[in-house]
Amino acid sequence: MSSSKTKTENSHITSVFTGAGLRQHSLVYWAVIAALALAGGLIGDSYIHHIFILVFIWCVVIASWDLILGYAGIFNYAQLVFFTFGAYGSAMLSIYAGVTPLLAILAAAGIGAVIGVVVAVPSLRLKGEYVALFTFAVHLALPPLIQQGKAIGMGGNTGLLGIPWLNLFGYQVSSIDKLTWYWVSLAIGAICVYLIYFVILRGRMGLAFIAMRDADTFALAIGVNEYRYKMLAFVASAVFTAVAGGVYAHYTGVVTPRVLGTEFFLMAMVMLAIGGMGRFPGAVLGVFIVVIGNELLRSFDDYRLLLLGVAVVLTVIFLPLGVAGLFRKRG
Amino acid sequence: MTQILEILISGITQGAVYCVVAVGLSLVYGASRILNFAHGSLYSLGGFLAWYLVAGGPGLPLWLVVLLVLPVLALTGIGIERAIIRPLRGSDNWKINTIMVTLGLAFIIENGLQLVFGPGTRTIAPFVEGSLSVGGITITWYKLSIFVISLALVGALEFFLSSTRYGQAVRAVSQDMQGANQVGINVNQIFGLTFALSVVLTGIAGILLAPVFLVSPLGGWVPFLKAFVIVVLGGLGSTKGAFVAAFILAVLEAFVIFYIGPSWAMPAWLLMLIIVLMIRPKGLFGVWEN
Repeated sequence: MSSSKTKTENSHITSVFTGAGLRQHSLVYWAVIAALALAGGLIGDSYIHHIFILVFIWCVVIASWDLILGYAGIFNYAQLVFFTFGAYGSAMLSIYAGVTPLLAILAAAGIGAVIGVVVAVPSLRLKGEYVALFTFAVHLALPPLIQQGKAIGMGGNTGLLGIPWLNLFGYQVSSIDKLTWYWVSLAIGAICVYLIYFVILRGRMGLAFIAMRDADTFALAIGVNEYRYKMLAFVASAVFTAVAGGVYAHYTGVVTPRVLGTEFFLMAMVMLAIGGMGRFPGAVLGVFIVVIGNELLRSFDDYRLLLLGVAVVLTVIFLPLGVAGLFRKRG
Repeated sequence: MTQILEILISGITQGAVYCVVAVGLSLVYGASRILNFAHGSLYSLGGFLAWYLVAGGPGLPLWLVVLLVLPVLALTGIGIERAIIRPLRGSDNWKINTIMVTLGLAFIIENGLQLVFGPGTRTIAPFVEGSLSVGGITITWYKLSIFVISLALVGALEFFLSSTRYGQAVRAVSQDMQGANQVGINVNQIFGLTFALSVVLTGIAGILLAPVFLVSPLGGWVPFLKAFVIVVLGGLGSTKGAFVAAFILAVLEAFVIFYIGPSWAMPAWLLMLIIVLMIRPKGLFGVWEN
């Protein structure tokens, strides 16, 4: 296993990332979003709306994870930590400080940025799998800290209940109003995913990420500021994920430490593994496949998590590039 | 004074068992550069197998159970290497792929255990009762015996690595995989061997600690994380380092539990990890590598 061979193969993984074809791809992207918006209005079943709301929220989380793990090549496993801080931050702001939910979600982005920096500073001193372990340790250490945070109103094990509904121009959007939530989450999700894949990753920053991932020495030699760009990867990833957390909190009306439980983490991993890392739109397709598949598996509830674990192992071994790899001729 | 001595002794006996988990993790990392995220769930697996054979079903004596479980654990290790590690060798993104599959495996084992045994915690009765009192300090015979067993295990591993042909092959693969391959060492076989040894070590630690800490399907992350902090402090691939680090950290843990409270034990370990990585990322005895 010579490393030079791996490096050149890696360069094929990269999806189109420069300006070429940006306008056409954007048009296709927004056409798909418009079709989804239209489909939402045509679907009458609020259960299906609910599934898609979850899909749109997850898309933001997984796209952010793909940004840092797939594109920037940083083994960050604290993604749900960002999500949790976004959810708790936004919920607590609107419960205790009476901040209107939409503003609270925006504030969650700020909280995400701060947490991104806090996790990044120690992580950037580390390499490779050390980063994976450190960030995963943060993930594991957070639930006990939330228990301790009961004193400052984090609700301990039962979590936070009665998180205020979204208020859109004086109109209260309750959790039962699935169609409005469908459009709201689609809009927020579409904007976040667009910013991640079309603005950040196709710009200078994305180019720097890919250069650092595929040829770190060369990237340093041509003057890519490794520290700054890796920090930016953490912050960008955390900001979008925290927004997703905020939307989730106001949609479900409840946040508990369960968001850091096995199920969510496993779901996120399966999405990325099945979708394929660093190859838009792989990761996003992975979200659609896994959320819908997970709902279809509801009848096998006892075995569901076991099957998700098996799915991770099997896809990594037999479909190492995820579904994104199916579109591309393998060399 | 006696109180401090008692905390110290409790930390030292605990440290020996942590050391067994840690050298297992370090062994696999040293040879294959794989951070096995399933290491902790394999610890639970050992505990559950023993619990089932001792208290759950057949009701066998513990020594017999250990003899029965040993080959099962070794075969599990070989099976893991064969089924999910070997197919990935030489693939693109080897590092991220092995992280993904071992994490996936951890969840498979956890949920499998939960499915078979139910979510509750289990305990095994210690094989010796009573305690030893010297000068006002009390220590249970059980803790004393797991301390001795753990030291013996780590000593045996160290002897294996330094003085046997296969042990030398493991060290050769750790130092230079390609070179080892060229002089005719079967790298796949060595990977399998390190996985087998590693699973045996962590599984036995799971059995030894079952009477002290209880076993639960999801309880493997705590020993895994502790083992990792020990390995980082000791220096990756260094058995001697893991040995020293295990005692330092276990004693610190004992003091934190006594003076601040048990719920702060895990945050304290995480804090220790951060401090170690900040001050001395290559560990006490390790060689820093990329």
